[in-house]
Amino acid sequence: MIKKADIILFIVILVFGLALTFLCFTAGDKGSYVDVTVKGDLYGSYDLSKDQVITVNQDSHTNKIIIKDGKVQMSFSDCKGQDCVHHKEISKTNQQITCLPNKVMVTVRGAWEGGYDVISN
Amino acid sequence: MSYRTKSLALSAVLAALALIFSYVEAMIPPIIPMPGVKLGIANLVIIVALYSIDFKHAFSINIVRILVAGLLFSGLFGMLYSLAGGVLSIIVMGLLKKTDLFSIVGVSMAGGVTHNLGQLIVAALIVENQKMFLYFPILLFSGLVTGILIGIAAHLINNNVSSLKEKVH
Repeated sequence: MIKKADIILFIVILVFGLALTFLCFTAGDKGSYVDVTVKGDLYGSYDLSKDQVITVNQDSHTNKIIIKDGKVQMSFSDCKGQDCVHHKEISKTNQQITCLPNKVMVTVRGAWEGGYDVISN
Repeated sequence: MSYRTKSLALSAVLAALALIFSYVEAMIPPIIPMPGVKLGIANLVIIVALYSIDFKHAFSINIVRILVAGLLFSGLFGMLYSLAGGVLSIIVMGLLKKTDLFSIVGVSMAGGVTHNLGQLIVAALIVENQKMFLYFPILLFSGLVTGILIGIAAHLINNNVSSLKEKVH
């Protein structure tokens, strides 16, 4: 019932799939800047290569984001959960730290993507 | 019965059966709750048709099933996804069968994978986001597994249902 070509095809697809999976997990390029959005609106974009502290003030909430050595971390948040503060630092494109209660989202972006997003929007 | 009449009648019955399978599939709660990951039991009918009638009829049955199932169950966008997956997979399966190198299981396996690939291409076009392809490995493996399962079932059906065994032509 099973032929030789079946097994070859199976192995080819399997290897292809595993290679793709591997690529997906390692692909994230080093980001070049950080987008901070509040309630979905862009709050500001910051250079990832420059060490800095960003303070996000909105109505009654405060979040502090630290950029250091090309890595981003949420250092302070006055939200209840504190999940965002415990989130480990991020540095690769499309990695995100989200503070749901304060609706603050930090996303690492690569250089070319800024342009792309503008076009697609 | 003439070839034409018999294949037409069989096609109609199979199209109806495929439609019922689409319905049953929509009713089964998903084992893995991810969009696009499903067993694809309706494709069982298409593969049986491909082997017991011919490519032309299997293709038509597939199109009829997708259009009607789209109108009845999954809506316009669901129909669009299924159409892309269905057309791509039936063409690939037809070609692989023609080479005579592959068994029904291998053909079905390729069909399962290309079905998901077709859906993903349409999804990426609609969403205009190439990142959709990060989702491809999951769909690829699920297509591989379900394709093999469906292929084994189709093999059993083709060998045991006597009215399908005596080919129409």
